[in-house]
Amino acid sequence: MNTIIELHNLSKVYNPKTIPVYAVNGVDLQIEEGEFTALVGPSGSGKTTLLNLIGGLDYPSGGEVKIEGVDITKMNENKLIDFRLKNIGFVFQAYNLIPVLTARENVEFVMLMQKKPKIERDKLVADLLTEVGLSDKRDSRPSELSGGQQQRVAVARALASKPRFILADEPTANLDSKSATNLLEIMAKLNKEDHMTFLFSTHDQRVIDKARRIVTLVDGKVISDTKNQPH
Amino acid sequence: MMLLKIAWRNIWRNKMRSIVVLSSVAIGLFAGMFMIAFFQGLMKQEVDNAIETQLSHIQVHNPVFPEDKEVGALIENGSGLLEKFKQDPAVKAASGRVITTGMISCASTAAGVEIHGIVVSDEKNISSVTVDLTEGSYFSRGGKNEIVIGKKLAGKLAVQLHSKIVLTIQTKSGDLTAGSFRVAGLFRSRNSSFDETTVFTKQDDLAQLLGTGKEIHEIALLLKDGKQADPIAASYKKQYPSLLVQTWSEIEPEMAMLTGLMDQMMYIIIGIILLALMFGIINTMLMAVLERQREFGMLMAIGMNKVRVFFMVLLESFMLTCIGLPAGILLTIVFVRYFASRGIDLSAFSEALSQLGFSSIVYPELQQSMFLPITLMTALSAILSAIYPALKALQFKPAVAIHKI
Ligand SMILES: Nc1ncnc2c1ncn2[C@@H]1O[C@H](COP(=O)(O)OP(=O)(O)OP(=O)(O)O)[C@@H](O)[C@H]1O
Ligand SMILES: [Mg+2]
Repeated sequence: MNTIIELHNLSKVYNPKTIPVYAVNGVDLQIEEGEFTALVGPSGSGKTTLLNLIGGLDYPSGGEVKIEGVDITKMNENKLIDFRLKNIGFVFQAYNLIPVLTARENVEFVMLMQKKPKIERDKLVADLLTEVGLSDKRDSRPSELSGGQQQRVAVARALASKPRFILADEPTANLDSKSATNLLEIMAKLNKEDHMTFLFSTHDQRVIDKARRIVTLVDGKVISDTKNQPH
Repeated sequence: MMLLKIAWRNIWRNKMRSIVVLSSVAIGLFAGMFMIAFFQGLMKQEVDNAIETQLSHIQVHNPVFPEDKEVGALIENGSGLLEKFKQDPAVKAASGRVITTGMISCASTAAGVEIHGIVVSDEKNISSVTVDLTEGSYFSRGGKNEIVIGKKLAGKLAVQLHSKIVLTIQTKSGDLTAGSFRVAGLFRSRNSSFDETTVFTKQDDLAQLLGTGKEIHEIALLLKDGKQADPIAASYKKQYPSLLVQTWSEIEPEMAMLTGLMDQMMYIIIGIILLALMFGIINTMLMAVLERQREFGMLMAIGMNKVRVFFMVLLESFMLTCIGLPAGILLTIVFVRYFASRGIDLSAFSEALSQLGFSSIVYPELQQSMFLPITLMTALSAILSAIYPALKALQFKPAVAIHKI
């Protein structure tokens, strides 16, 4: 198995000069290709911060973030944007989609930025929307979709760039339990069939249950890292 | 491209705001253009008016004449020269004038005036005074010793049509002489000070009093193309080195200067309008950008680079400008057309303007050549003012933007 994500003694301190907050405090972690990992922990334990660091959305105060051996903490902002476009898929808790674009256009957008040819775009967009069960909603704008549907479009969009892995920060937080389960099932299926690596944070026990690995964070530190048999 | 699509749809996301930007571009352009049309119309009218009233495009004198208006400062072989000018294909009309200063008096009062002895048939081709009569006629009865004076002067002297007045002047040989004239007509030009100080007699009558014979002091030339005054005057200067050849702008440098001053004022006003426009756009676009902070953060998170973000914001302003400009041009054309035929009535300020020699009804006139520079200036200001909001959008940190809920 390939190691995709490698964290070494990673830390992030907010307000270092006034009242320092050690949001992430010396985390060592490896994520292998094909894993389906849940990041759990109480509110304020540093889940979002950790995901931001892994995704290159923020710079750490110390330590390394290696993506397939490349330390992204050394990249400048422009390089990071490009790196994210090529390697990382994101699903946020909310506001994932461009409101003025339809579901289809939202998914296509990342591929356009990657300068993929039209034939390839059209095919993949259709496939992905079918996979998340939204082919009939392809011409709807985000405002015309339910929260769960929006999150499924976001998953399709995250996949469209053919990333090495997908980071999802509380993707189900705004969803009812049925939509949450549905979203997780889609993610699990993509993980199983396409071997897409997922790392997602969550509070939701039903979502945690679907994970195959559970990393627990408290006060910015990993306190447990266990395998799980999804059910 | 997708960016175009996004920018276009973003415009319609907040219709009110877009309409504000769009209409400020349109109105900014319109205001600038209309201002120019107004001032250009005003100045052209002013110049045309002066040229038509008395000035003409080119005047020829004995070099010493303009200073003291001395009776002896005649144009050598003036009548021959006048005939020659009349034959010149560039000249539309020419008129020779005998001019002197003197005193006009009636029973009760007197006033200093400039007396122009003119040949009616020639002067009719060159001066609008000949038709701007409020009462009487321009020497049409053919009587001897008739005089046409300004209505204003008539009021000052308390004389009426057919009243008798006396002109007192100095002859060529230096003696004082007086002639009795009957008021044949009252004129009213747009320039009230001209009306108060200039009177007209037939050339023969004045020449007889002055003892100047067939000689003249001034040849006024109206050209077929007034814009050619400078080069034509230059060639006459070469041709007649012993004479003083002047264009209207040389004779009335104040007026030429006023035209220049108006131009400057115009640019200052346009500058102010554009500045206001820029602040308006900066403000609205900044609001549009700040409102979408989370969206920009998300876009950068999923890999939209800064160049694209920058252009997306710029594109929105650009599109609004592209709609606003034609609207502004249309507005300008419609309004300028309308007022060009109807005129803008400034009679509320008319007395003051008339004192300055301005007409009370202004017909705006827009030179085609002004469209492009003003349109470009407006477009440029609109685009420039989108740069700051666009740069602002680049400063959003994806992580921070996403955090904000
Ligand atoms: N921009 C920031 N400036 C200062 N402190 C911050 C900032 N972002 C997060 N923190 C602090 O860092 C700590 C970790 O926050 P983080 O958002 O990573 O936690 P979390 O596990 O995602 O919590 P939740 O489950 O509520 O989303 C918290 O104490 C938080 O207050
Ligand atoms: Mg969080």
